[in-house]
Amino acid sequence: MRNDILATGVAAIIAGAFVVAGASGVYAQAKKPAPLELKGDAAARPWKRYPGWPAADYSKYNTLGNLASAPAPKEPRKIVGPVTGDAANGAKLVADRTRGGSCLACHVMGPAGNADLPGNVAPDLSEIGNAGREDEWLYNYVFDARVYNPETVMPPWGSHGFFSEAEIKDIVAFLKTLKSPAVFKTALDNPEKRPPPVEKRDNLDPIENPGMWAVDKGQELWKEKSAAGFSCNTCHSDPAASFKTWAASMPKWEPWLEKVLGVEEFVTRHAKATTGADWPMETDSNRAMSVYLHFLANGTPIKVDTASAEAKAAIARGVELSKRKVGALNMACTDCHGIAVNHWIRGQWMGEPKGQYDHFPTWRTSLLAIWDIRQRFQWCSVNIRGDELPPDSKEYGDLELYLASQNEGLKLSVPGIRH
Amino acid sequence: MAETPKIRVPKTAKKGEIVEIKTLLPHIMESGQRKDKDGKTIPRKIINKFVAEFNGKPVFSANIEPAIAANPYMQFFAKVDESGTFKFTWTDDDGSVTTAEEKITVA
Amino acid sequence: MRHLSRRAALALGAGSAAITLVGWNGGAFATPQAAADDIAKFTGGATPEKGKISIELPEIAENGNTVPLSFAVDAPMTDADHVSDVLVVAEGNPNPGVATFHFTALSGKAEASTRIRLATTQNIVVVAKTSGGKFYTAQKLVKVTIGGCGG
Repeated sequence: MRNDILATGVAAIIAGAFVVAGASGVYAQAKKPAPLELKGDAAARPWKRYPGWPAADYSKYNTLGNLASAPAPKEPRKIVGPVTGDAANGAKLVADRTRGGSCLACHVMGPAGNADLPGNVAPDLSEIGNAGREDEWLYNYVFDARVYNPETVMPPWGSHGFFSEAEIKDIVAFLKTLKSPAVFKTALDNPEKRPPPVEKRDNLDPIENPGMWAVDKGQELWKEKSAAGFSCNTCHSDPAASFKTWAASMPKWEPWLEKVLGVEEFVTRHAKATTGADWPMETDSNRAMSVYLHFLANGTPIKVDTASAEAKAAIARGVELSKRKVGALNMACTDCHGIAVNHWIRGQWMGEPKGQYDHFPTWRTSLLAIWDIRQRFQWCSVNIRGDELPPDSKEYGDLELYLASQNEGLKLSVPGIRH
Repeated sequence: MAETPKIRVPKTAKKGEIVEIKTLLPHIMESGQRKDKDGKTIPRKIINKFVAEFNGKPVFSANIEPAIAANPYMQFFAKVDESGTFKFTWTDDDGSVTTAEEKITVA
Repeated sequence: MRHLSRRAALALGAGSAAITLVGWNGGAFATPQAAADDIAKFTGGATPEKGKISIELPEIAENGNTVPLSFAVDAPMTDADHVSDVLVVAEGNPNPGVATFHFTALSGKAEASTRIRLATTQNIVVVAKTSGGKFYTAQKLVKVTIGGCGG
């Protein structure tokens, strides 16, 4: 309490003309709120995709912030007579990972791709050639399965331009050759027998987890004086005591900004309003502070506000957003993290949403980088060939609160370590 | 600025005991096999040698290729018959050397 | 600056997601023959005997960027007779060499662990040499996972 009041005072001195939440004391809350910079964005604008990520423009397709995808066709395309295509080329196309991940991501397909680690989200098609399906049905199911099932997980491969009409005919010709069960070279290749990955590394051991650098860096930044002569330590001189549980209560609805703030955006806005430090989201300083603040609350069960009217409304929006089909692959969060849960997407195991939040920000061994949850959201979007939103977008806030609510009770363990 | 290695050596041991040692040096281990977005090869820059000595005598060493992961990690053992000092040395492709020492008391 | 600071290295990692994801890109890959050539150089042409070495590697690795590898050679570690060198090669990397480890009687055990990079599903071969000039070998296959969304 005392610290918060002091912080407001500091902010009033150094923030000048900034609008500081709480300075006017009009919150209908028991605790005096921490000062926050309310103007401007907490991340770079215009948002630019990270270097090294696919640079493609997906603006023709839905995002979590915008509906842009063309409507699904109403009727199947007429196919007269049997489809004749190049089955050998079809066999190559279904395993071509550059075309949105390939059919093998979800289907076992007999010998295609040497039956190397296929997924099992969708039916095994190894004997589809015996199923008596009409060529028109096969063609349209690949071209745009929504004409048969509006909610299908199957991406509209033809409508969204992943494959040409001729290529889809080659794929249909290949499907018609599939008449016997897949033969796997090793038991691991069979998704029905592949054991789910088990994470056994001690993520809080610096020799196991290189991401622990961020805890050291966060501690340094805590005491680093800003140009105005203030540091976090000016007001929070015993962070281990005063932040023992805080991060486990985030994200939280912020009435002045009318959106859900996670730890990362809170850090950006609170630092600006108090010490004046410039720690925008998705910079190393911000990541380090977020990791450190989560680290201080490690072991605390996640418990976010889900009871207030504002939180309930935000979670309801998060639920809706999680069902929105986005990107050229036309997939929703719930397609992978609902329908596909406890299945393999090619060689990747899809865990339940519970367990996908308690370790963020997390060290990624495949990337040698720390990702916070918003960057993870962004990568999901880009990975399904959709434009990401800026990390401080309201939509990601709603989604984060919904995800945190699904992880309630799990103890924070940050930085995590994942592949 | 050279980075600080992370090292685990027991503080004490019995005479003749075989102790476990773990070391990690933060380092990107640029393989020389990757290309940047303009298609140019990113030059190799790795730790190519790691040496562990005890009281000046060789205990364990490794000649390292780019196939060792970033932040090179080494776990190995040492038989200690006397108190003394472990010295660890990492050699970079650019010739720079990082060293660290850890003492152990043998009773 | 003598070398990239850790934070610079980390920042570089953060900024190069797609290229780092694969670990390696482009270029020719090693073959079992290239690995065998490295082994022949190590043994001076002698054919190593199978056995005496246990290798710990995951059967399946979620990515090839940091795969834990441990090996242990079942052999004496005395001044007179000990494992002196252990070669590790990977048959499917751009170059087969991974590392050569050197032991002495002071090592106590001919065991070590490290973390390795694997460009793709492949065999890892470990060859041990004793101070008496004997050679032992063992190998293990690691399947490196293929991601779902391609790209």
